[in-house]
Amino acid sequence: MTGLALRSLRHRPTSFVATLLAVGLGTVLMGSFATLVETSFGPVSDVDAETLVVMGAVVGGWGTLIVLFAVASTAGITVGQRAAELGTLRTVGATGGQVTRMVMSEVLAVGAVAALLGAGVATLTGRLLLGALRGVGLVGGDVVAGPGIAALGVTVAVVLLTTALAALVTARRATRGAPTVTPAEDGPQGSVLRWWRLLLGVVLVGYGVAMGVVTITVTADSADPYAAMSTSGSSSILVGVGMPTFAPWLLRGLARVGRPLLRGPAGHLAGLATQRRATSLGGVLGPVVVLTAATVGTLVLVDIDRRTVVGALDGDTELITLLNNVVVGMLSLFAAILVVNAYAAVLAHRRDELRRLWLLGATPEQVRRTVLLEAAVVAVVGVALGLLAALTTIVPFSIARDEGVVPDSGLWLPPVLAVAVLAVTLAAAASAFRRAVPPRVLAGAAA
Amino acid sequence: MTNHTPSTALEVRGLTRAFGEGDRLVRALQGIDLTVPAGSFTAVMGPSGSGKSTLLSCIAGLERPTSGQVLLDGTDLGGLGQNELAHLRRDRIGFVFQGFHLMPYLTAAENVELPLRLAGRRPDRHQVVALLDRVGLADRYRHRPAELSGGQQQRVAIARALVTSPAVVLADEPTGALDSAAAQDVLALLRDAVREAGATVVMVTHDPVDAAHADTVVFLADGRVVGRMDAPSAEAVAGQLAHLDDLVGAAR
Ligand SMILES: Nc1ncnc2c1ncn2[C@@H]1O[C@H](COP(=O)(O)OP(=O)(O)OP(=O)(O)O)[C@@H](O)[C@H]1O
Ligand SMILES: [Mg+2]
Repeated sequence: MTGLALRSLRHRPTSFVATLLAVGLGTVLMGSFATLVETSFGPVSDVDAETLVVMGAVVGGWGTLIVLFAVASTAGITVGQRAAELGTLRTVGATGGQVTRMVMSEVLAVGAVAALLGAGVATLTGRLLLGALRGVGLVGGDVVAGPGIAALGVTVAVVLLTTALAALVTARRATRGAPTVTPAEDGPQGSVLRWWRLLLGVVLVGYGVAMGVVTITVTADSADPYAAMSTSGSSSILVGVGMPTFAPWLLRGLARVGRPLLRGPAGHLAGLATQRRATSLGGVLGPVVVLTAATVGTLVLVDIDRRTVVGALDGDTELITLLNNVVVGMLSLFAAILVVNAYAAVLAHRRDELRRLWLLGATPEQVRRTVLLEAAVVAVVGVALGLLAALTTIVPFSIARDEGVVPDSGLWLPPVLAVAVLAVTLAAAASAFRRAVPPRVLAGAAA
Repeated sequence: MTNHTPSTALEVRGLTRAFGEGDRLVRALQGIDLTVPAGSFTAVMGPSGSGKSTLLSCIAGLERPTSGQVLLDGTDLGGLGQNELAHLRRDRIGFVFQGFHLMPYLTAAENVELPLRLAGRRPDRHQVVALLDRVGLADRYRHRPAELSGGQQQRVAIARALVTSPAVVLADEPTGALDSAAAQDVLALLRDAVREAGATVVMVTHDPVDAAHADTVVFLADGRVVGRMDAPSAEAVAGQLAHLDDLVGAAR
């Protein structure tokens, strides 16, 4: 089965690259911050150790959430897309266990390579990050980087464990029930919401909202101006990561509401596809929600902080703002790559279906417009949910800093970022479409 | 024009189609001439690789001929651009594929209306339901393809091919994936479309019994028309096929 696994990898370069990117970049991001924590155990002053732990564990913790989400959703998408192929293997006599083992060894082979490469890069980026902290004077100039072996080891293990778990859950779903070669469509009632998935989502969203409540009721009154930031800062990300667990149901409901707005033949198809394919498109919706929630929540937070903390810690504020922006930038870039990734993986498996539209008489432009309109629905729903998630950081922190429910200024940030996320999503769909369905696929090959 | 000289739905003249180049050159079609009268049922037969699917693809504008002409309802396909070909497929041609090719996320009724939708027309629900009724699926119009049997899916595909009242219905081994009972249903539908609704059908098949439903059988071998039989019987077709296989076998 392992031989089959390795051979099948060569035939699916898109999901291969998707997994490689998510796991590799995720390990770089998470590993860089993890090495800071390890450095704090070295011969450094108590103050420096605390700064390093806060940077590594708190800021890195937000990143970790996003990374684990990225890895899990990518593994979920790439395995889920193969339900038909896995069904075929089972109809020719492979047992569910064999198929699951094949999928696992495939995902883990790619994941291990990516995680090791990522860990290698992270030793470098971790040092760069420490250098930046030293440069801006957040830690003493005498702090030297720890070896990083333990930190990177733990990072690789956690990333791979998450990858394996997501692959296992998806593979088990694909191999449950009687073998069939035509699964992967939502039934009329949609797919079932599993209890553990519901629980995970409720816990994440609930935790994020609770942190917001704690910010308003407890840490807002704390003497330390950063106490409120540490409780509310992660709320938008927690809620943003939690929401996608209900993504298919949210998408189905909201697509139904929005369908009358979609006009023309392409709009008609896009509306029905988003509503009835909510499970596979949910894989794209999730990253859009996370991207919106993380960037809007954190950037508005940083903006409020910059305005309100002046006088208390003016020297550090600029540095902390800078650092925060760098971190948000990295996380946004990662989430944006995830959106692109997710779209590529989702569309790569729809080439036949899209070509079918052309066979039946759709013009190439109609086929393209269908895909872009689907992306627009996903993007609008995702951005709306992401903005909602961002509120769980913005409102409590704004109240904590005495600006009231609505921040005093910087209100241009959310709409600008929302438009940026919409643009990224549509561009991702357009480029994924170009690669999955190149013009020659929708053309009578000229002789 | 009178009833005694039926008009021509489809005309193919000197059609050739080659794939690849150099020593990988495959001449799939090597000069096909074919005239299909409106309201007729034509079966195309021949050994595997003889060019049957390529011929249908060229007629539907899915493949561009290397040389030669396809005239559909008087329109020369050679002069049409990609979008015009798409409009032609949508409005003037009904294609029935061996693999059904239904859109998985659309219901049976929505699949049937798809060609109308693509044309930006609002489908008439009564017409769609009537068509599904004609193919025996009136009670399944809200089902998705995954909830239908192969024979039922192919019947939906036939309703879809008929919904625009096309000039020609092209069917590439429409019964290839079906058991014999379901295949008989599908064939009866195609034949009734010709006899009762006046459709023109060109069907590729491997089965002499299927071909016997047609008015005319055209035999292909190595990309050429090598025989023709009117009012065919299954036995005569089988005999001709066996003869063809001998010829092709001898040539190799
Ligand atoms: N896209 C293509 N590229 C290269 N060669 C092709 C292509 N399509 C068809 N051919 C070749 O053209 C020839 C005719 O193929 P075609 O599919 O028309 O045969 P067929 O009569 O439909 O066979 P079957 O009964 O097996 O379906 C074959 O030799 C085939 O290999
Ligand atoms: Mg064929």
